[in-house]
Amino acid sequence: MKKNLFILFLIFLIPNKAFALIEVDITRGNLNPLPLAVSPLSIDDNSKKSFENILKKENIGSEISIIVENNLRTSGLFNPLNKDAFLQAPDIANLKPRFEDWNLIKAQALITGKVRYVDDKLRVEFRLWDVLAAKEMMALAFTTVPSNWRRVGHIISDKVYERLTGEKGYFDTRIIYVAEEGPKTQRKKRLAIMDQDGANNKFLTLGNELVLTPRFNPTSQMVTYLSYFKNLPRVYLLDIETGTQEVVGDFPGMTFAPRFSPDGKKIIMSFAKDGKSDIYTMDLENRLVEKITNHPSIDTSPSYSPNGKYIAFNSDRSGYQQIYIMRSDGSDVKRISFGNGIYGTPVWSPRGDLIAFTKLHKGKFYIGVMRTDGKGERLLTENYYQEAPSWSPNGRVLIFYRETKTNAKGEGFSAKLWSIDLTGYNERLVETQTDASDPSWSSLLSN
Amino acid sequence: MILSKIYKNTLLILATCLVLSACATKKQVVTDIEGQMQGDVYTGTETVEYLADGVPDRVFFATNETILTTASRETLRAQAAWLRKNSNINVVLEGHADERGTREYNLALGERRANSAKDYLMTYGISSDRISVISYGKERPVDAGSNPLAWSKNRRSVTVKAN
Amino acid sequence: MNRSIIISSVLHAALIYITAMSLPFLAKKPLDIPPIVSVELIQIAEKTNIPFAPKAKKIIEKAKEKEKKLVSEQAPPKKVKKTKTKTVVSVDKNEKIDTKAPEAIPLPEKTVKKIETKTENKQNPDKLDEDVKQVSEFEKKEFVDLDNIAKLIDKAKEDTAKVVKKDNDITQDQDKNIVTSGLTLSEEDALKAQIFGCWSIPLGLPYNEDLLVRIKLMLEPDGSVAKTEILDHARMNKPGQGFYKVLAESALRAVKLCQPLRVPTSGYERWKELQLNFDAREMLEG
Repeated sequence: MKKNLFILFLIFLIPNKAFALIEVDITRGNLNPLPLAVSPLSIDDNSKKSFENILKKENIGSEISIIVENNLRTSGLFNPLNKDAFLQAPDIANLKPRFEDWNLIKAQALITGKVRYVDDKLRVEFRLWDVLAAKEMMALAFTTVPSNWRRVGHIISDKVYERLTGEKGYFDTRIIYVAEEGPKTQRKKRLAIMDQDGANNKFLTLGNELVLTPRFNPTSQMVTYLSYFKNLPRVYLLDIETGTQEVVGDFPGMTFAPRFSPDGKKIIMSFAKDGKSDIYTMDLENRLVEKITNHPSIDTSPSYSPNGKYIAFNSDRSGYQQIYIMRSDGSDVKRISFGNGIYGTPVWSPRGDLIAFTKLHKGKFYIGVMRTDGKGERLLTENYYQEAPSWSPNGRVLIFYRETKTNAKGEGFSAKLWSIDLTGYNERLVETQTDASDPSWSSLLSN
Repeated sequence: MILSKIYKNTLLILATCLVLSACATKKQVVTDIEGQMQGDVYTGTETVEYLADGVPDRVFFATNETILTTASRETLRAQAAWLRKNSNINVVLEGHADERGTREYNLALGERRANSAKDYLMTYGISSDRISVISYGKERPVDAGSNPLAWSKNRRSVTVKAN
Repeated sequence: MNRSIIISSVLHAALIYITAMSLPFLAKKPLDIPPIVSVELIQIAEKTNIPFAPKAKKIIEKAKEKEKKLVSEQAPPKKVKKTKTKTVVSVDKNEKIDTKAPEAIPLPEKTVKKIETKTENKQNPDKLDEDVKQVSEFEKKEFVDLDNIAKLIDKAKEDTAKVVKKDNDITQDQDKNIVTSGLTLSEEDALKAQIFGCWSIPLGLPYNEDLLVRIKLMLEPDGSVAKTEILDHARMNKPGQGFYKVLAESALRAVKLCQPLRVPTSGYERWKELQLNFDAREMLEG
């Protein structure tokens, strides 16, 4: 036996010496967004007419592909190529792409598809192709009511994103925020909701009273926020579908800074009384209120870890605003922010490994992330004023709001939503109809 | 070679020391702007309204502070006297913060400022039943400016007649 | 009074001296990360020879030890055992789908294979019972036949595992061998520079995971690629290795895009087989 092995070993070794495999380490590449082609979805004439009647869109196929294109471009990870350069017609490309043609315009991936009108419904097929390997990577089809056509575009974007990056997308999502209008000293604020790309904007309140800090529940159907209805600042609960509103709990003072627990069953918030603010939870089923922190300081901006076992929050018990974490029952309070400056608005990432925060240092505001033990702080963006980051459901992008500095006369104020990648790249203005603040990102709507 | 390195480093360190000490002295030079601020508490009267003759309606705070200054205590004593005289009047104390803080923390800070005014009024014999408190955080600035003077005007607790 | 001034100044001088001695980096230039240089024209020298980049080599060695296998295709075919393990599935078949109700799309003019996706979706397995089907199209005429490659690798693994167990030192020895018979510095640089330009690193990757993709190439004398193999192919379809798959696919695309590779003009026997180790960490960390 031993002998056999030895012979085997010799046979191995001898040719190896002669033709040793040469290895070359490739440690660099380009970090440019991946060039890909989004071919307009093909559509037959009958379907085209039907959709034109229903949706008032001339060619729903290309409209959907534009949504996909825009989503992929704003992610910063992809570079959708100019359609003018496409050599192959959409319908033929969907049957069998001529990879040489797509290769010629430097596309590395190709998206094709077909739209049809079937039984009063919108049916969309799409395929993702690897141009260089000349093969299909994915093929899916959806059927839905025609009015849902934008969401189809978002779902396709999510699938492509997931197939090409290895992580889930974030395009089929909504953002709830506070729409702002009017002079800085008398801002009119309304709750508003829109798709992640700014479409389908809707105002949820009339603007008669001040509203602040809306947050989605995990299913994105409910929102908790702060309203100054009747000049009593209280935490409210709003059902987006039905529009019903109610006050959360019966507190003899201001409640604010609300969030949902990860299971959606509790609301966690601050309650301010006699100059001190503590963190409370209220169970939405049995309405039981529990006091979580008990300290003469200001404790606010609570945020649950995704598993619900821990809470990150903001406290000035050390003298200035810092970030602390504790168990969800309030025990084991630990300070985690020790850098220079003051820290606020901790938000636990959906992946659980990072906490996003706002930092004020030497007159500048930063959005940053740190690990949950407070180490590995990375500041992503610096500005005159910005705060309140909210994570995309895949934990890849942060949305926050930024206010401009006014001039000597107090003019030139604006508040806008911005997004930035976790790496600190791809900072983008998120277009809104009005000025905007306090954004909160929903979970993926299709899951 | 090594010597020149040490020499270079020594020079660098000395230069740093000089720069740092320059910073320290410079800071002390900055004081009030046009006599309207002391430390960074607003001492002007531009935004102040009056509840009655000689009874200013508001008190101002330093950055991130809720402690009442000597001038603030004087104002509140005048308010207490006026409230004792007009026992049918109830008041709301509105606490505010400047724009240089996160929204939620500022809400709590405004509440704390209004409460510190309330506590002082109570020590001068005003019943807590007559005083309610509300915080607007940074939502209702009086001065839209983005400068230290504007911020000092916005860090305030305002006493407003409730009836 | 005077004394304390003297003590103070002596101590200060000492402090400055100590700081000066222990802060050598102040005198140096700041660390300069070399910019990405893609050199187009390179003189091929005859005799230069360089070892691997030490960092990448270490990683590779670690990977090798961990897996206890020897990468070698030189084993004579007759020694190959016939105990195949059917663990490897082609890339297309094991696609991850989790839409509400995706339907199968029949591909015109092609035979359609219906494969039920299973267990891959760890995020929400409860949604999977809905009729999920996937069209799988595999172009047999393409030279990247992942199925076969994977089987080959599996065979090689089984054989070599024994050898490695017997004597780990030998693998080390062979590593050294590989180094000395590698490309010359300029030959390697030419090839690297070319592939650097072709490789679009997937930007969404996490920078803290073990993401080294090793690809073996069979080359034609003109530098075109006759065959590619992903050496840890089994990892492609493991659940939770989505990032690896994405990276491996990007590496394959880079090779395709770069064809024909900028290979040395002579010594075909030496480089007709070539292993590329794609390591994105340096780029993603920086």
